[in-house]
Amino acid sequence: MQYIDEFRNPEAIGKLLARIRSRSSRGVRLMEFCGGHTHAILKFGLRRLLPPTIELLSGPGCPVCVTSQRDLDTAMALAMTDGVILTTFGDMLRVPGTKGNLQEIKALGGDVRIVYSSLDALTMARANPGRQVVFLAVGFETTAPTVAAAILSARAEGLANFSVLSLHKLTPPAMKAILDAGEVKLAGILGPGHVTTIIGSRAWEFLPACHAIPCAVAGFEPLDILEGIYALVDMIESGTPRVRNAYARSVRPEGNLEAQRRMQQVFEVEEAQWRGLGPVPSSGLGLRKGFESFDALLRFPVELDASPEPKGCRCGEVLRGVAQPPACALFGRGCTPENPVGPCMVSGEGACGAHWLYREDRMLEGTG
Amino acid sequence: MCLAVPTKIVSIEGEEAEAEIGGVRRRISIALTPEARVGDYVLIHAGFAISVLDEQEARESLEIFRELEAVEGEMLKGER
Repeated sequence: MQYIDEFRNPEAIGKLLARIRSRSSRGVRLMEFCGGHTHAILKFGLRRLLPPTIELLSGPGCPVCVTSQRDLDTAMALAMTDGVILTTFGDMLRVPGTKGNLQEIKALGGDVRIVYSSLDALTMARANPGRQVVFLAVGFETTAPTVAAAILSARAEGLANFSVLSLHKLTPPAMKAILDAGEVKLAGILGPGHVTTIIGSRAWEFLPACHAIPCAVAGFEPLDILEGIYALVDMIESGTPRVRNAYARSVRPEGNLEAQRRMQQVFEVEEAQWRGLGPVPSSGLGLRKGFESFDALLRFPVELDASPEPKGCRCGEVLRGVAQPPACALFGRGCTPENPVGPCMVSGEGACGAHWLYREDRMLEGTG
Repeated sequence: MCLAVPTKIVSIEGEEAEAEIGGVRRRISIALTPEARVGDYVLIHAGFAISVLDEQEARESLEIFRELEAVEGEMLKGER
């Protein structure tokens, strides 16, 4: 068992698709919360294989994309602060802020370094005792425990030159905000497999209980995604909305308790600003009392001018499922992964980037 | 960013482990999965194992897909 190829078996995929086709009798609009799902769905061509009754909309599940323009500008200001080494995951590098991106700041002499893990930032802090290492902490519940673990290590070893700009966000409040707004009528939610590995499938019980729609938590291989879609269609057709776990090899009802414990030890829940959603109550993670010394903003207060949204960019609507990427006038015309106007085009999980990367004319070029 | 990859643990030292995927070995943290043992497959995200994959559950999922094939096969035969 390698846990990859087994879940890409073409024959099983064909059978599962046939089963979805025979079960689906009426038009339904489903939202895949996670940008990782959007990419996998387009990469494996699943959209075109599903029956026309099933419409899939991308959700807000791209941490880079939902980071507000203001928070991006704050990160850029930190990167320009004397003595600071700003460490970040690779896909933040080319996200446009109001005055350029981190790559440009790096070219102008700012010390911006890509890390694979928050632990790499700790290593950098140990190796550079005369410098201040700031970790730009972007990510959902999947990532927040890894940053919490790094902060706990830093505290245990008394590492004084390490701090974090916490832009972490929580996914269920964002899902609730979209449903409460009621801009799009959704019949079911494909739940994010790796976020739910941490928070547990019970965290989605509010979907059937308060919104009367089903949720199927799914992994990221084609069979996982189709099993999730089948579970949603099945629950919709039978009128029995529940939470089904279609990723049982990783997701448990209670989630990863050790990860939750560390996350709660370091962070407390607060309001957060989301691109596309605005302020969402109880949807962000700030450093808890006792961990203020690791708060980069307290160490390096920054002053900012206004942070207007990029002109013409419809990323916010894409994140709410209100607009599909090709509907944006800039899509492929002025906004491409090489020259992104908004984050949804440049992030590895952004819906615009996925639609551009796996667009049909390009796929045909590839086979021709 | 929530990308996580199945990787096999080959050795453990405290909260650190060495994991192997496709012949490449790298050091990871198992601080978030203290139950991880050598030989387990874990999902790695940003340098940390975030879950120990349950082989039994994986086999059951695959078994359901196989049964699905058998059932559909029977149905197709019946239609003929």
